[in-house]
Amino acid sequence: MASLMETLAIATTGMQAQSERLRFVSENVANEDTPGYRRKVTSFEEVVEAGRRTGMVQTGPVELDQSALARIHDPGHPLADQNGYYDGSNVNLVVEIADAREAQRSYEANLRVFDQARKMSQSLLELLRR
Amino acid sequence: MFDRPEIMQLAQELAGHAARRQERVAENVANADTPGYRARDLEDFQSYYAARGEAHMHATRAGHVPTASFGTPAGAVIDTRTEPSPNGNSVSLEAEMVRQAETKHQHDMALAVYKSSLDLMRAAIGRGR
Repeated sequence: MASLMETLAIATTGMQAQSERLRFVSENVANEDTPGYRRKVTSFEEVVEAGRRTGMVQTGPVELDQSALARIHDPGHPLADQNGYYDGSNVNLVVEIADAREAQRSYEANLRVFDQARKMSQSLLELLRR
Repeated sequence: MFDRPEIMQLAQELAGHAARRQERVAENVANADTPGYRARDLEDFQSYYAARGEAHMHATRAGHVPTASFGTPAGAVIDTRTEPSPNGNSVSLEAEMVRQAETKHQHDMALAVYKSSLDLMRAAIGRGR
C-alpha cells in the first residue's frame, strides 16, 4: 500500500512538471511578436533528497534562449534603427507547438500511471469489503 | 493462532512486488523527459522469490528470530537497457505502458488468489461466502 501511495505522489510530480513546461510554452507563444523577447526554456531534473534518488521530477531553473533574435525590416516601427530593422523575438512557433505536444503526451502517460495506481489500491481495499 | 497458509503469503508477496514495480514505472514515466535519466525496472517475481527463499532461515528454537521480522527485501533494481535518446534519457513510454499492463495483471492475479483462499477459509469454518 505504501508503494502505491508513493506511486501516486511520483505521478503527480510528473504531471506538475509537465504542466509547468506547458506554461512556459504558452508564455513563449503569447510573446511571439514582442520585440526583444527571448524564449524561456527549462529542463527537468530528478529530485534528490539527502543524497537519495526519489524518482520524483521537478523543473530546473528557467533560462532564456540565447540564440539570435529575428531581425525584422519595418522602417515605420518605433524601435527601428537607421536601416529600418528592429529586433523581434526568437520564438519559433513550430518548435513551441512540438514542445506542447510532447508535454501533453507525457502528461497523459503520467495520468495513466496515476489512474492505474489508484485502481490497484482500490482493489486492495476491496478485500476488506464483505 | 494458526500460521497463514503459504498460498496467501505468496499472493501477498506477488501483490507487493507488483506495487513496487508500478512505482518504478511511475518514476520512469515522470522522468520521461529528464536529460540523462536511465530507466529502471525491478527483477521479475520469479527470481525475486527464489532469491528470497534462499535467504530464508528456519526458526527451530524459541530464541531464533524469524527472518520475516527483518522485513522483506524490495527486490533488485535493474536497468532496462533500452537505447538512450540523444539527451541520454532511456525511457520509452511505450515500454512503460506495457510494463504497467503487466503489473496490473500481476496485481489482479494476486488479489484473486488471495480472495479465493479467504473464501476457502470461510468455507472451512462453515460461513460460506
